[in-house]
Amino acid sequence: MTTEPTSNQAIRVANLRKRYGDVEALRGIDLSVEWGELYGFLGPNGAGKSTAIQILTTLILPTEGSAQVGGADVVRHPEMVRFRIGVALQDTGVDPLLTGRELLTIQGRLFGLRKQESRNRATELLNQFNLQEAADRRVKTYSGGMRRRLDLALALVHRPSILFLDEPTTGLDPVNRIALWDLLRQVNEETGTTIFMTTQYLEEADALCQRIAIMDRGKIVAEDTPTGLKRRLQRDVIELDPEHPEEAAHIAETLRTAGFDAVADKDLIRVFSANGAHSIGGVLQHLESKSVGIAGLRVTQPSLDDVFLQLTTASVNEG
Amino acid sequence: MTVVMNAIGPTYRRSFWRDLFVLTGRSIKVTWRLPFAVIPNLAISLFFLLVYQGGLSGISALPAFGGAHYLNFIVPVAVVSGAVGGAGGSGQALIRDLESRYFTKLRLTPASPTAFVLAPMIAGMLQLIVQTILILVVAAAMGLSVPTGFVGLLVVVLLAAGWGLAFAGYAVAIALRSGNSQTAQAATFVFFPLLFLSDTFVPLSLIGAAWLKVAARINPTTYVFGAMREVLMYGWKSRPILEGILAIVILSAITLGWAVFTARRTLRRK
Ligand SMILES: Nc1ncnc2c1ncn2[C@@H]1O[C@H](COP(=O)(O)OP(=O)(O)O)[C@@H](O)[C@H]1O
Ligand SMILES: [Mg+2]
Repeated sequence: MTTEPTSNQAIRVANLRKRYGDVEALRGIDLSVEWGELYGFLGPNGAGKSTAIQILTTLILPTEGSAQVGGADVVRHPEMVRFRIGVALQDTGVDPLLTGRELLTIQGRLFGLRKQESRNRATELLNQFNLQEAADRRVKTYSGGMRRRLDLALALVHRPSILFLDEPTTGLDPVNRIALWDLLRQVNEETGTTIFMTTQYLEEADALCQRIAIMDRGKIVAEDTPTGLKRRLQRDVIELDPEHPEEAAHIAETLRTAGFDAVADKDLIRVFSANGAHSIGGVLQHLESKSVGIAGLRVTQPSLDDVFLQLTTASVNEG
Repeated sequence: MTVVMNAIGPTYRRSFWRDLFVLTGRSIKVTWRLPFAVIPNLAISLFFLLVYQGGLSGISALPAFGGAHYLNFIVPVAVVSGAVGGAGGSGQALIRDLESRYFTKLRLTPASPTAFVLAPMIAGMLQLIVQTILILVVAAAMGLSVPTGFVGLLVVVLLAAGWGLAFAGYAVAIALRSGNSQTAQAATFVFFPLLFLSDTFVPLSLIGAAWLKVAARINPTTYVFGAMREVLMYGWKSRPILEGILAIVILSAITLGWAVFTARRTLRRK
């Protein structure tokens, strides 16, 4: 199906750095991605996700460090890398005056398919990505969801073994986002395609990726499976539902003055503690003494949001 | 030019000509879908032909015209202005690709980068040739008769294509440099001095202002007009024809060299 792996790892990156004048967009990144893995690069705006993906897809050069993609060096053998990868980036687009079918056919031809092969492949992908009806319409008439599906189809024309996606669902509504997740899982499972994707959404990384690297200002601050990352935060969370939701902020404040690590999150209050079972008595006692009514209570594991916040604030403090 | 790249994959064949063919086909398709990028330019060319022929044709009785019709004199103006517009279109096409970022998508394919800069230029040249033929057909309908016959008209088309190529090189270089349509649009305004600081409407000998005479002598367009007018009005005298060809060759070498240089710089990874 895909090209024969010529390397033990799909992607290997060592000490990757990129400087734009005074801005250091990447400050030394190391990572490796196994064949067939769905790997997520998670980070806020400006973290360096796009810079990293542009280096890996041969669009820009690193200032320092090395990267191999599909066994080929991105600096020395960009053509080899290009043939092995499929790419849908924030920084790429399509000609809005062409139709989906035309774009797919051109893409196929440029990747060396013969005319008829290229046409057949276009039809196949249009069906797979549910674009049959729009196939012969100009792309400028496509909805956001259709554009993203076409982008994905374009990236897959030549059956690459590694797929790079830069924020593939940013700007999509929840329905289209979840539909795209299903497509990505399908591509990953059915063809064994390795996927390297970036995202700003924790739930997306959590739902899709087998491994996640959290990026913050040009550095990877953590890399693990979603469960591993959650486990890393050695804390429990006590979630309280106040009887009067509008009082949540005020209650969190009272708890903080009493020495608890509490935050109000919309209508509920979250109290972080090394051991939830031990602290719960103290929390309830305090609330009772202030005659605050509680409608519900849970002790839970931290969410990825918690991990993310903890990690990124920790690196703020570091420097 | 067909090399099998085994290191890449069993089926991939690198072929510059395939890439060029595919991308040129695409550029032509897009030109066809943007008729309003073509029609105004063609309209202006025909305007030159109809209005100046209508208004000034009487002056060809002057001895400076050597007995030829004014229509034969003004046809090159329509052709050259059409050629410049058609060639400018190739720069506009590249800018559309830069702005839509389809250009970046193309860069991520193994296709030859030369092909995706050259393709819009070839499409522009084809557009220009069709336009030139159309202008000549209209002129023929207006009664154009040429001493050098069909071959003479063919030479006019080739001169127009050569001139267009020189201008396309300039338009493409500006497009790649600026990457935005305003700048490129502004840059095509050199078209005006090129077209009008010349013996555009009357022979050089009838131009009164000394400065305009000097400008016309420096302006390479004058020599292209000269070559076209030679075959349209008189015959096969080699000197004006060679001067026209020389002007085209020199200018093309400069602008195409600049385009290649700019393309290399734009496409180099940073
Ligand atoms: N071409 C560029 N020139 C200068 N600075 C850049 C350029 N591209 C990105 N940056 C800077 O590098 C940092 C990382 O950007 P980017 O990789 O786009 O982050 P992300 O994709 O995670 O939002 C940002 O501070 C951004 O401003
Ligand atoms: Mg980005």
